[in-house]
Amino acid sequence: MSDIMDFLKDYRVILLIVLLIGSIAAISSLGIQEGLDLRGGSIIQIQLEQPVDQDTMNKVTTVLDKRLNAFGVKDVKVRASGNQDVIVEIAGVKPEEVADIVGTPGKFEAKINNQTALTGSDIATVSPYQVTGTQWSVPFKVSVEGANKFAQVAKGQAGAPVDMYLDDKLVSSPSLSEGLANGIPTTDVEVSGAEATKQEAENQAKSIQTILQSGALPVKVQIVGISSVSAELGEQFKNGALIAGLLSLIVVSIIIFIRYKNPILVLPIIFTSVAELILILGVSSILRVNIDLAAIAGIIAAIGTGVDDQIILTDEVLKGDKKSRRSRTGLKVRIKGAFFIIFASAATLIAAMLPLAYVGFSRGYTGIGILSGFAFTTIIGVLIGIFITRPVYAKFLERFINKD
Amino acid sequence: MNHKVGLMKIEQIIASYKPMIAIPVIITLLALAIIAFNGLNQGIDLKGGTITTITLEKPIDQSQLESLIKTGLNTNEVTINSFNSTRATITMGGATDVLKFKDIINGTATIESYRSIGPVLSAQALNQVYWALAIAFIFMSITVFIIFRNIVPSIAVILAALSDIIIAVGGMSLFGIPLSLASVGALLLLIGYSVDTDILLTTRVLKRREGTITERALDAMKTGLTMAAASIGSMVALYVVTIFFIPSAEALSNIAAVLIIGLVADVLATWLMNLGILRWYMERGRR
Repeated sequence: MSDIMDFLKDYRVILLIVLLIGSIAAISSLGIQEGLDLRGGSIIQIQLEQPVDQDTMNKVTTVLDKRLNAFGVKDVKVRASGNQDVIVEIAGVKPEEVADIVGTPGKFEAKINNQTALTGSDIATVSPYQVTGTQWSVPFKVSVEGANKFAQVAKGQAGAPVDMYLDDKLVSSPSLSEGLANGIPTTDVEVSGAEATKQEAENQAKSIQTILQSGALPVKVQIVGISSVSAELGEQFKNGALIAGLLSLIVVSIIIFIRYKNPILVLPIIFTSVAELILILGVSSILRVNIDLAAIAGIIAAIGTGVDDQIILTDEVLKGDKKSRRSRTGLKVRIKGAFFIIFASAATLIAAMLPLAYVGFSRGYTGIGILSGFAFTTIIGVLIGIFITRPVYAKFLERFINKD
Repeated sequence: MNHKVGLMKIEQIIASYKPMIAIPVIITLLALAIIAFNGLNQGIDLKGGTITTITLEKPIDQSQLESLIKTGLNTNEVTINSFNSTRATITMGGATDVLKFKDIINGTATIESYRSIGPVLSAQALNQVYWALAIAFIFMSITVFIIFRNIVPSIAVILAALSDIIIAVGGMSLFGIPLSLASVGALLLLIGYSVDTDILLTTRVLKRREGTITERALDAMKTGLTMAAASIGSMVALYVVTIFFIPSAEALSNIAAVLIIGLVADVLATWLMNLGILRWYMERGRR
């Protein structure tokens, strides 16, 4: 009994208990952010025609983001990956629906009296919108060809609505200003209008600017990859992973029992595995890291190395127990020896995971970055193991197994 | 029990290091030969293409489905990976347009998951894979050198790891497991994980002073084989579950399969090759 009290009072044990409570609190309040392959969703990878600078890249991602939002797609994440790729993540959309979204070209057209005056490819640059009182305007530049075409169509149409379509959907129809209806081609064009309030003018100007810009992606883009999983299949992946984890634990327990023939050794190994699972999920939940299939594989790997470490520790302690009944200092030395092996093993595993983690952080969910969740949970799991759960297990062995 | 006799035999075997080193070396060379002659399949991540899981909405047999898609896409590069009465997983060459595919299977099936990788992306990923494997291996090697600060034992550990990776890749070639992002993940894990038992062995043999080299090695082997049994056991569990419950999560079953092959190879590489080199080194040092 005093052994148990002594064990529970150890700072390492207290630390583990506190962190476990913290992790459970984090998981229950913040939740676990599931990867798209577990909750259903799609990842679309887009590549630009050529590498671009940061400014252009920001423009591209903003335009894509607004364009997708304009289609009523909720929960969209558009992220740059390096200087030539963009990754679009859409949650909760079925693979079939992604087909439609991906299939939409984002075609922009401006028509006056049903005659096409401008298309997206005519727009060169869009300037920031201006609002004065309830009046708003969005100036933009068009190509020389575009200017000629527009001048022809707009001639004598002052005051007529300019109907703007995005993928054949009417999104706005401001009226044509007089200066543009005189038939003289100009590359500096502006759409303008007046609303009831300043706020409305502001909103209108902003959305027109977006539409014009979305027609004016600064570079050509191409879809290079699609990955999409339905929510049902995601659910199945999750359950499968859970069953696999449980079965793995049972198999490991049986092997430990066969080897040591001591149920007292099986319990802490199961406890440690569960504790590590909770801590890894807790850290992921706080850092908002996606738990996807790859991350689950990483958790299984991390827990697997944990079991290995515990076997090393157990053997080291039992070996001394068998050979000679030395003092506690002897035991301390043996545990220290085991920790040398444990730290060294952890270091090589983390070293091997670094390239994956690097690609994941710098490029996001593309190419080998798809496995970044794997690297993350493995590294976190190994660190948690060597610094938190392994010392507790060593303490456990010291207290309950090695009785002098 | 003839446990004692068994131990005696192992002791005799460990005492003669040349045949010990030879066995994993021969297997590694065999693996290289298999890779050279058999080649290595690449998953769609790395060579481009499309993989999709569909839910069948009306009864159709496998060959009907295959010819439906082949005619629809006007290509012969259609493979049905798995098929049962409700669900099928299909691989298609090239980055098939999802809209076109949806039209082709319309009325027959609906799409559960769809993954299409264009040639640009796959070339990029393939490049990353080689770099990641090379850098991971170099980082691991540097770490091993830092740990032991002793050239021959470090090289023994690194050679054992290299042999594991080659045998694992040979196994992939033999069993038709494609080189994909998932299996590369497994190989990367193997680079870092397989050296655990080598570190255990080297530390126990090199840094301890109690007992003979053979006794220390046998002690380490007892621990190491328990570790191997636990990790291989849990990977077998993962493999079995994915094959039976979630066949469309091919990524997981591939990871498990590669790790099983690699960890079995590691038993040979560690307890024959690494131990053999270590013995040779220790005995030469004594002379």
